[in-house]
Amino acid sequence: MRKTKARVLVVDDGLTMRLFYRSVLEAAGFQVEEAANGMEGCEKALAQSFELMIVDINMPKMDGYSMMRMIRDDPAARMVPAVMISTEAGERDAAQALVAGANFYLVKPVAPEDLAEVARLMAGVVAA
Amino acid sequence: MALIKADSQTIPPSPQPPMRGLPALLADLAAADPAVRRTAVRDLAGYPQAAMNLCDLLEREANSSVRAALFSTLITLHSPAVAGRLAVHLHSDDVALRNGAIEALQEMPDAVAPHLQRLLSDDDSDVRIFAVNILAVLRHLQAPEWLAAVVRSDPHINVCAAAIDGLAEVGRPESLSDLADLRRRFAGNAFMEFAIDAAMRRIRGE
Amino acid sequence: MMVTLSANPAKGLAPVMTDGEYAKFCEFFYRKTGIQYQENKKYYVERRVSDRIEKTGSESFRDYFTMIRFQASGEEFQFLVNTLTVNETYFFREDYQFDALVSGILPGIAQTKQHGAPIRIWSVPCSSGEEPYSIAINILERWDQSDTWNIEIHASDIDTKILQEARGGIYSERSLARVSAQLRSKYFVRRLDGSFQICTELRDSIDFSLVNVVDPLHTRRFRDLDVIFCRNLLIYFDDVGRRETVEMFFEALAPGGFVCLGHSESLSRISSIFRPRKFKDTIVYQKPAE
Repeated sequence: MRKTKARVLVVDDGLTMRLFYRSVLEAAGFQVEEAANGMEGCEKALAQSFELMIVDINMPKMDGYSMMRMIRDDPAARMVPAVMISTEAGERDAAQALVAGANFYLVKPVAPEDLAEVARLMAGVVAA
Repeated sequence: MALIKADSQTIPPSPQPPMRGLPALLADLAAADPAVRRTAVRDLAGYPQAAMNLCDLLEREANSSVRAALFSTLITLHSPAVAGRLAVHLHSDDVALRNGAIEALQEMPDAVAPHLQRLLSDDDSDVRIFAVNILAVLRHLQAPEWLAAVVRSDPHINVCAAAIDGLAEVGRPESLSDLADLRRRFAGNAFMEFAIDAAMRRIRGE
Repeated sequence: MMVTLSANPAKGLAPVMTDGEYAKFCEFFYRKTGIQYQENKKYYVERRVSDRIEKTGSESFRDYFTMIRFQASGEEFQFLVNTLTVNETYFFREDYQFDALVSGILPGIAQTKQHGAPIRIWSVPCSSGEEPYSIAINILERWDQSDTWNIEIHASDIDTKILQEARGGIYSERSLARVSAQLRSKYFVRRLDGSFQICTELRDSIDFSLVNVVDPLHTRRFRDLDVIFCRNLLIYFDDVGRRETVEMFFEALAPGGFVCLGHSESLSRISSIFRPRKFKDTIVYQKPAE
C-alpha cells in the first residue's frame, strides 16, 4: 500500500475530458496533473515525476505521438507507463501508439471502470 | 576578457539583404535546404498570389519547421480557397499535418465557414470530430448554433462528445435543452452523462 | 527585493476567492497570457486581485471576474496583468536559469561548436540591463571554459530611455541584493551616492541595441545565435505576436540553439517548433539540429 498517492499526468485538449479523467482517477486514488496539449504534456513530463500518463492522440500544438517521441530521450520520462487514447477503433492507431511507446491503448468514449482498471494495472496501485 | 562586443550596427542594418522577388521566392520553395524553404515561406506572406503554391508545398513537406512556417503564412493569407486546401488534410493519416491544418483553420473563421457544413456531414466520423473541434474555438457568431445542430442530429457518440466540449466553451442558455435531449439519448453512458452535466454547469455559470 | 505586499488590517485575511473561483481564474488567465499559476500561488494572486477589486469598486470577485472577461477595452485586464507580473528587476533574478546556462547549455554548445566561432547570446528585452550583465558575470565566474571562447552578448529593448540606463549600468543597493561582496568589488564601482556602476570593461563588452521584436527589419540581422533570454515579454503580446516572435527566434538561432523564458512562462500555447529540454530545475527550449 502506498504512503503517497501515485501521480498521473493527463494530457488532453478537451476540458471536459480532463475533468472526466480527473474525476475517475482521483476516485481511484491518484493525484492528477493536467496538460492541455502535447507540448505542455512534454514539459510537465520532463519537469515532474509521474507513475502514469494518459495521453490523447489528437491535440493542437503537438499531438500525442509527437509528445511520446519527444520524451523518449529523457531517461526518467521514458520509463513512465503511458495509456494512449484515440477515437479510432481500427488497428492502425493502436499500432502507431505502440511504436510511439504506449503501453496501453483505449478507445473513446472511455468507460470509467476501464480507465480506472487500466490505470491501477499500469501504476501498480492497490485500490484505496 | 572572454566577452567581445560584436560590431555595433545601426537599425536598419546595413547592408540589408535585398528582398527576393516573387519568382525567386517561389523557386526557393523547391530548395534542398529546409532553412531556405522556410525563409521563402515566411517571406511569401506578402504575396497572396503564392497561396496555392504554398498549399502545394504543404502536401509534400516533411520538415516540421517548414510546415510550421507554412501554416503561419497560410493563416496570414487566409481565404476560402486556402481553407478548402487545408480542409483536405483532415482526412490525412499524418497526425501532425492533420492537427496543424485544424489549428490553422481555427484561425480563419470567415474563410473556413463556407466549408464547415460539408465537413460536418462527412462520412468519416473522425473528420466530423475535427470539424467540431474547429467550431469549438472558432470566433464565429454562428458557432454555438452549429454545435447545437451537431448535438441534435449527429448519430456518432464521439462527434457528440466533441460538440459537448465545444458547447461547454461557447454554449448559451439556448443550448441547454439540446444538451438535455442528448443526455436522454445517451442515458446510461457514464462518460456522456458526466460530460453533459459538466457542460450544462458551465453554461449556467456555476 | 521581492515586491512587498501592502497589509490591509481592515480587510483581514478573508479569502478573496473560493478554490473553484481560483481555478477558473487561473484557467482564464492562462488562456490569455500563457502564465500558469498553481495552487501554491493562491495567496499571491488573491492579494493582487483583492487590490484590483478594491480599486475598481467591484462588489465581489465574481463581479470583478465578469468585468475583466467582458470589458471591451481590456483596460482593467491589462492593469491586472501588470499587477500580477510586476517584476522588479534585479541582478541574478531567476538564477536557476543562469545555473542551467553555465552547467548545461554552454557546455553542450561548446561540444558541438567549431573552435574559433563565437558564442552568441541575446537578452531581449534587456530592460535596464540587469539581465545581460547578470549573464555576463555568471559566465565569467562560473563557466570554466569562458576563457577559451569568444562570447558575444547582445542586449535589446524597445525603450530608448531604458536602453540608456542599461548602457550607463548604474544600480541601487536593492538591485544588487543577491550580489556577493566579492562579486561587487570585482565587477562594480561604488559611487558617492551609494549606487553601484558596472565596471567599464563589462559595460563596453555588451552590444546594446534598439529593437522591436515584431519588426522584421530590426530582427533580420540576428542570426546564428546560441542562446536567447526572453523573459516576461511574450505575456504582453496577443496570440499572433507571440507566434511571430517565437518563429523569429527560431530563425535567429543556430540549429541546437536555446530559448529561455521567464518563470511560469511556457511555449506550449504558442508553438511546438522548439523542443522542451530539462536542465536541473528549469525547462528551456531547443531548436532541433537541422
